[in-house]
Amino acid sequence: MNLTLLGINHRTAPVEVRERMNIPEARLAEAVSDLVHRAGVREGMILSTCNRVEVTTSAEDEVDAEAVIRRFLTDHHHCDMSNFAHCFYRLRQQEVVRHIFRVAASLDSMILGEPQILGQMKQAYAVARTAGGLHGTLNDVVNQALAVARRVRRETALGSAAVSVSYAAVELAKKIFGKLTGKTIFVLGAGKMSELAARHLLHSGASSILVANRTYDRAVQLAEAFHGKAVPFEELFDHLGQADIVISSTGAPHTIISKSQVEKLLSARKNRPIFFVDIAVPRDVDPAVNELDNVFVYDIDDLGHVVEANKKQREREAVWAEEIIQDEVQKTMKRLASRDVVPTIVALEGRLNHIRSAEMERYQSRLASLSPEQRQAVEALTRGMMNKILHGPITELKSGAGEPEHAALVRLIHRIFGLEE
Amino acid sequence: MQDACLWIALVFYALGILLIIPPVYRRRPSLSPASLGALGLGLLAHAAALALEAVHIHRLPVTDVRSALSFYAFLVTLAFFFVYLRYRTVFLGLFMLPLVFLLTLISALHAESSFDSSAFRGRWLLVHIGSIFLGYTALFLTFVAAVMYLIQEHELKSKQPRGFYYRLPSLEVCEELHYRSLVLGLPFLSLGILTGFVWASRTWKGPWEFDPKILASLVTWLIYLVLFSTRVSGAWRGRRAAYIAVFGFAAILVTFMGVSLLSGQHGYFPKL
Repeated sequence: MNLTLLGINHRTAPVEVRERMNIPEARLAEAVSDLVHRAGVREGMILSTCNRVEVTTSAEDEVDAEAVIRRFLTDHHHCDMSNFAHCFYRLRQQEVVRHIFRVAASLDSMILGEPQILGQMKQAYAVARTAGGLHGTLNDVVNQALAVARRVRRETALGSAAVSVSYAAVELAKKIFGKLTGKTIFVLGAGKMSELAARHLLHSGASSILVANRTYDRAVQLAEAFHGKAVPFEELFDHLGQADIVISSTGAPHTIISKSQVEKLLSARKNRPIFFVDIAVPRDVDPAVNELDNVFVYDIDDLGHVVEANKKQREREAVWAEEIIQDEVQKTMKRLASRDVVPTIVALEGRLNHIRSAEMERYQSRLASLSPEQRQAVEALTRGMMNKILHGPITELKSGAGEPEHAALVRLIHRIFGLEE
Repeated sequence: MQDACLWIALVFYALGILLIIPPVYRRRPSLSPASLGALGLGLLAHAAALALEAVHIHRLPVTDVRSALSFYAFLVTLAFFFVYLRYRTVFLGLFMLPLVFLLTLISALHAESSFDSSAFRGRWLLVHIGSIFLGYTALFLTFVAAVMYLIQEHELKSKQPRGFYYRLPSLEVCEELHYRSLVLGLPFLSLGILTGFVWASRTWKGPWEFDPKILASLVTWLIYLVLFSTRVSGAWRGRRAAYIAVFGFAAILVTFMGVSLLSGQHGYFPKL
């Protein structure tokens, strides 16, 4: 096994370097094919996204894969790689497995737990496989990485808490209303931010939307975009009572929604809850409104606090995810290593069998007088001795597979039994 | 034999409850299959214990405190499974099952104090006790939903999401559970109280209207009636309704446990 990964990501390289090293999707298959046709390279995969470029190979044991990958990148980008050498990380063997697992599970992403990376990894896998770059050890590792990512998603909440302000608003709305189906949104003051939040809410199932704006035309425009209804700003309070979620972002210099007004709305609504998302600065909704039962007011800072708390929540989940990764890396390494000792075991058996048959050959004439039964007994005797001798080394080879000192053991067995390298 | 079954149920309940702790600690929303499996086995063993007891005494085992507690614990576990299938929230288990364990434990520890009286025979009484228990089970759910609501509401109002924010279901879900269990529980409670009156007027001698347990249950019933009507009219919702549900369940505890220990006609309901 000779796994090597050479790569850059958003932490090690500035965007200028990342865009310089990027391999566009259209040329990916060709690049993989070029990579795996280089001398000593068995398998290869290239993951190229806006935050990372990583080239992974599985090579013949004696090959310096790092140099091959460097040469490949130099050829591909027609540039002097030494300028960027400090940006690259070089990983070997188990580090490669761990890294691919962590990347797939979105533990290495700029935004912890973001879901796109898994799709990108799947894409890179599919391209590399079609281009003939994956068929052995590396294929297994990447496949396992996809499975591990699914396990992390299933067993942790790494990707669940909202980490942007507009998604945090949606998440809060869901914590209040459960499903958003059938809920009405009121967009008060048409702006980029409120438009985005409204879009997310509609996407999550909210069914109707009302828009009010100081300039009525703008309200009509936005309402049309969302298949909603525009409401004249002056009639605001006639319609506000229909709304379950109010997104407010007017340019008003003082609050426009007071506690007593909301109290009236509530009694008309039979106390069904209202959620105010006040992203205006200065604020549109009097903070005292939050004191009313069944009313929840979040201003822009409150949403920011929720996002911060959610990021911490993701970090906590990441700890569990890392445990899963650790566990899976060990399992995978064990499996790969035990597959690695198979050639040694075969060679060892071959070697002893060869000695045995050579000795039998040498004593052929002297054993000629034996009866068939006696001849069989001699066969069984020598074979039994051979197996007894083999038992210790084979057990040792299998059990120690994957341990750091195991390579030394394999070399030792090769040396003392005179096996070919 | 039924005692052995009860102890087996208890062991499985304990296991199931212990297995709730990891997902709560890890802020996972739902229970592990192992936990549900253990609780399911506990429920089966518990059912077997009750069935054996019923065969033994030739009626529903609800007529002494020990078997009444056990029967109630069984109903709560059953209700837990129904509700969990619908809402899948780990907190239902965390709030409901320790009570199940405690009641079953008390019941198992008092294996010898079985009690029989000719007064406890008769159909009216079975309907009375059966409906009261079904009502109590549903209203316990109302209480659990109210507690979940109050915690989640506090999280949302405080705007500083902590553990509960991630673990608890939405306010809407809490309200839905609150309302549905109330709508289910109140008729059973009413039926239970009515049949109780009928039975008492036929059986007891003397002024049964002033039995402390009967007075307490009337107060309880009034609390839930207020809760129901204000909920339907929309006057009280959310936090206030939740407080009343908590208050109502406190009244149930007083009625069920407290007054049984006092004198009065129910007083020959034996003490533990």
